Amino acid sequence: MANSLFSTRTLDCKDLHVYLKTLPSHILDRLYNHPATCLAVFRELPEIGKHYVMRLLFVEQPVSQAVIGLWINNRHINEHHICTRALSDLRIWYEQPLPGGMQGWILNSTFKTNMKTALLGGGEPWTGRGAVPLPSDKNSKDVEFLDKYAVERWECVLHFMVGSNEGKDGISGDTIEVLKHSGLMKLEEGEPMPFITPGGFQFLLMDTPSQIWFFMLQYLDMVDSRGLDLVECLSFLFQLSFSTLGKDYSTESMSEGQQRFLQHLREFGLVYQRKRKEKRYYPTRLAINLASGLSSITSDSNRKGFIVVETNYRIYAYTDSPLNIALLALFSEMLYRFPNMAVANLTRDSVRAALIRGITAEQIISFLRTRAHQEMAKEGPALPPTIIDQIRLWELERDRFKFNDGVLYSQFLSQGDFEKLRDYAKDLGVLVWDNNQKRVMVVSRAGHDTVKKYWKQLKQSGNS
Amino acid sequence: MVNVMKGILVECDPAMKQFLLHMDETEGLGRKFVIQDLDETHIFISAEILPVLRDRIDDLMDKLSFPLNEK
Repeated sequence: MANSLFSTRTLDCKDLHVYLKTLPSHILDRLYNHPATCLAVFRELPEIGKHYVMRLLFVEQPVSQAVIGLWINNRHINEHHICTRALSDLRIWYEQPLPGGMQGWILNSTFKTNMKTALLGGGEPWTGRGAVPLPSDKNSKDVEFLDKYAVERWECVLHFMVGSNEGKDGISGDTIEVLKHSGLMKLEEGEPMPFITPGGFQFLLMDTPSQIWFFMLQYLDMVDSRGLDLVECLSFLFQLSFSTLGKDYSTESMSEGQQRFLQHLREFGLVYQRKRKEKRYYPTRLAINLASGLSSITSDSNRKGFIVVETNYRIYAYTDSPLNIALLALFSEMLYRFPNMAVANLTRDSVRAALIRGITAEQIISFLRTRAHQEMAKEGPALPPTIIDQIRLWELERDRFKFNDGVLYSQFLSQGDFEKLRDYAKDLGVLVWDNNQKRVMVVSRAGHDTVKKYWKQLKQSGNS
Repeated sequence: MVNVMKGILVECDPAMKQFLLHMDETEGLGRKFVIQDLDETHIFISAEILPVLRDRIDDLMDKLSFPLNEK
């Protein structure tokens, strides 16, 4: 259904640069005060952008735009424009007039200084690399443990969203606030617990890195209201993304705000800390992947596929995770549950129930496809084509009607009047439908007032 | 004089339009709701009827489909 009135909202997931561009410029400038941020932003630049920054890094005066334009072949002028725009939007460089009156570009001095530090070394130690080296941890944790821990913590949040009982403990009020703020869950009146929204269902079917990224963006939106400093949190996140998996870091040099932020990250499974008071923490894979946004994430490869779909609409899920089963149950009908597998049926009713909640057919299909058992992937397409088609058909079936809110104009006395009004509405872009012979037209509700005003003017000028 | 009416423009396939006209004629939804029959694939209806109409269309679709699975 195309109309905004009836459409379901899709989740808008920004990548790192898009997110940074939404920040006010003074915050961006403050962010660049740390080498980690500069390096994180730099590694996400388009290739040409990296060249420009590297060439300008040790130039202390503005360089003419014409000169920079010559660095690139005319055939790739578009990429050049995209790139220069990106650099300006991110405030990595800005325009400065040259003595001769030409426009030049000069790198943001904060960015330049810290980028140099990132490349050449020196500067203050990054967070977690305290002045005194940590004594070795007698409870030291290996990568395997951290991965398991991170997944467990994150699944707690997801469990809470699907409303299963396994994840009830360990979800704090803060997390619930973020879920409500992001529109993934909402609180119905008279209900003690928040309830999942269509957006939330879409969220559940995304892969883990995208979920974390989306969730953290929403979290960062709210840090101000919690009395935390956005710049402090962001630069800590960027530093985390440069840390080593399986290594422990000290909390000693962290500010109080960062300590509080760390406790939140601990709750989502982005860092591991044995006890609240413990002076060391381990970043997990979730945190290390985070700052690259969505662009370069290839993880989830370590997750094994577990779903077998048969042409008779049966789904076999070889999993013992209650979360996976709960997700599957969003759009299928559970038949049997065994300790290590579950059997479900895809039915028209179950898929329709999911569609009504705002999950799209494409999301269901991609969920099944990305989690298909490796035996399924061996022979041609991982899912039987009939099943894919049928899920799409079930979605189309709900779309046989297109409803458009509008206002009907009819019974025009003259063809001239009709055409004038129709052309006016068309120019405004509010004309939804018209028929010349019948002299009938439909204008969108939003455009009705303007068209009505125009019609009154037209009549008056006609009469006088 | 121009006649102005608020409502909902429905775009659908001809078969579904006939279904709407039929519902209107037989007052299957309790009252008439079609404001104007525009052309093969367009029809203008009153806005209040929409929720009821939606349910009715869902019913129709349910009747049209045959359960594929056996338990």
